Amino acid sequence: MRIIFFYSVSIFLYLTINGEEDFNSSHSLLPEFRLNGKAVQKVFGKAKNIALDTTVRLLRNEKMIALGGIIHPEGYILTKASSCVGAREAETYDGKKYALKIKRRYEENDLAIYQLISDQNSFPSLNWEMENNVTEGSWVLAAYPSLEEIRIGVKSGNSRKIDREGGVMGVLLVTDRSTFRGVEVSEVVPQAAAFRAGLKEGDIITHADDRRVKNQDMLIKLIGKKDPGDVVKIKLIRENISKDFLVTLGHRSVTFDLFNRNLQMSGPVSKRKDNFSMILQHDLPLPREAMGGPLFNLEGNCIGFNIARVDRVTTYSLPSTLSKKLVDLYLKNITKL
Amino acid sequence: MIFKFGIIFGLFLVHNVFADIVDTKQWKSKTPKSKDDLLNIQHRLQELLSESKKALVSIETSDGVGSGVIISEDGLVLTAAHVIGKTGQKINIRLINGKRIPAISLGGSEISDAGMVQITKKGKWPYSSIASMNKSSPGDWCFAIGHPGGFDKDRGVVVRLGRIISKTEDTIQSDSRLLGGDSGGPLFDFDGNVIAIHSRVSKEPDQNFHVPIECYHINWDFYKEKEILTFEKLQTKGFLGVACEKTKLGLQITNIVKGSAADNIGLKKNDILISLDGEILDSREELTILISSKQPDELVSLEYNRNDSQISIKVPLGARPEK
Repeated sequence: MRIIFFYSVSIFLYLTINGEEDFNSSHSLLPEFRLNGKAVQKVFGKAKNIALDTTVRLLRNEKMIALGGIIHPEGYILTKASSCVGAREAETYDGKKYALKIKRRYEENDLAIYQLISDQNSFPSLNWEMENNVTEGSWVLAAYPSLEEIRIGVKSGNSRKIDREGGVMGVLLVTDRSTFRGVEVSEVVPQAAAFRAGLKEGDIITHADDRRVKNQDMLIKLIGKKDPGDVVKIKLIRENISKDFLVTLGHRSVTFDLFNRNLQMSGPVSKRKDNFSMILQHDLPLPREAMGGPLFNLEGNCIGFNIARVDRVTTYSLPSTLSKKLVDLYLKNITKL
Repeated sequence: MIFKFGIIFGLFLVHNVFADIVDTKQWKSKTPKSKDDLLNIQHRLQELLSESKKALVSIETSDGVGSGVIISEDGLVLTAAHVIGKTGQKINIRLINGKRIPAISLGGSEISDAGMVQITKKGKWPYSSIASMNKSSPGDWCFAIGHPGGFDKDRGVVVRLGRIISKTEDTIQSDSRLLGGDSGGPLFDFDGNVIAIHSRVSKEPDQNFHVPIECYHINWDFYKEKEILTFEKLQTKGFLGVACEKTKLGLQITNIVKGSAADNIGLKKNDILISLDGEILDSREELTILISSKQPDELVSLEYNRNDSQISIKVPLGARPEK
């Protein structure tokens, strides 16, 4: 599909471009007044301040890798687990830095609880929205990674469960001609996992992770159990010579999606964006590093935690009802200790 | 909540009586001033959304998937030229409930990226109304709907709020973010009318481009009845050799290609083109469409204004120079 449209095809139009730019600039809405412009952000007043005060930047070697939300005055924070591996430090809106300690990980929905190491017990912590009633088209907002601005948008699609995708190699297999030796590759998807590992059309795969694969189903089942990022050892026969390859599996959506171009135009997306028991979808223009931060409504109450940047128009949040359950359970045990 | 809205609206009206301002709706004001203004925008968006969604379709061709919007009861669909590709293709459209209906691609133009499709099955289809000429302008609130990445029943229609950033005769730019698969889908104003069709994006989140509804109004019959105008086709057709810009005065020449028909006949920068073969020229796309219906060497009558005097000439068209 062609998405980006080139004007340079004919001289006739090419010449008109200069004129168009002039026309544009004199009639365009100043950045300040756009949906995410400062003038519009300002109207979000209290909710904006709460978002900025209760969001923290998580750092690894001075580099920001994720955001998190303060869930307790003693400096407990909730964030996206897979985004902040190796986070050592957190920075609050006032520029103060704190050492970080991991407390708990919840792999199921990719959440983690950390604590800011400090004597302070009056960190500004967020308020949870108790009612799960965010309707489509409702305003949502979240802190931008600088913690100086927010991003504004709306709930943009149905809340729903996101299924697990599993890892893929990015090969098409010969279906009608199963050789007794193994499974023949009929096509290698350009730039996908198998392509990068060096697999070629005509290769006959005999083993995956040292297990003999006699037919397609066996191979597909074996690979499907693994996740994107996992490395699989592939033994194959090429021109009658047996060879070994290491394939780092890719994401199904990235590999086989007809809309590969969508990823090119989206910029970096979260690695894990599947297998969530419930998500709330919104259209905030946030970078991947902003995942793990809290999402707020117009009242300044937390309605979710941003858990995956999916593409240019889609971010998933875990609804507050879901995240709060984990947090409450965790904090209850803390108090007992 | 309803009570609150009532009071706000009341207050606003009173304020207006004193201020003698024509706009009475908060979403029409340049920028919201308070939380209540924000709530009004949200309320209005939600009110329009459920109706607007009904006319949205997903368009499936042999080349890919896009979006479109039904704009008449008998099933005329507006979409983008690059979604349909060529005229007379059998395609499927999908309503938001997932139901597939047969349709055929009509025409359009790669210049503006406007396209049309006709549902071929008889029926009364849900449709949206389209805005008339010159109803939208920079600063207006708008919302995009479509099927980014393709149809997904669980996810449903995806909405994105934004404002119009700029508008020229052949492009509207907004900050309602788009993705592949949205192409051909509608951009609505806060009166619930289609003001543009999604066309293209570049990397920045603010850079989303739509075909203004004005292009459809100006070239309606051409899009509906004729073969789609492609850049490829343009290469072999007649060529005048002017670049122009829509100004308050009309279609004003901004540049002349050296050695072209326009150059030979003595057209000059700043001349205002009025009509071609008796057809009043409303946009540069229309001019291109008219010229491209002619062969090189064919004669056309051209009327233009120079220094307030009107001139009529016969111009033998040339061939488009190789790129």
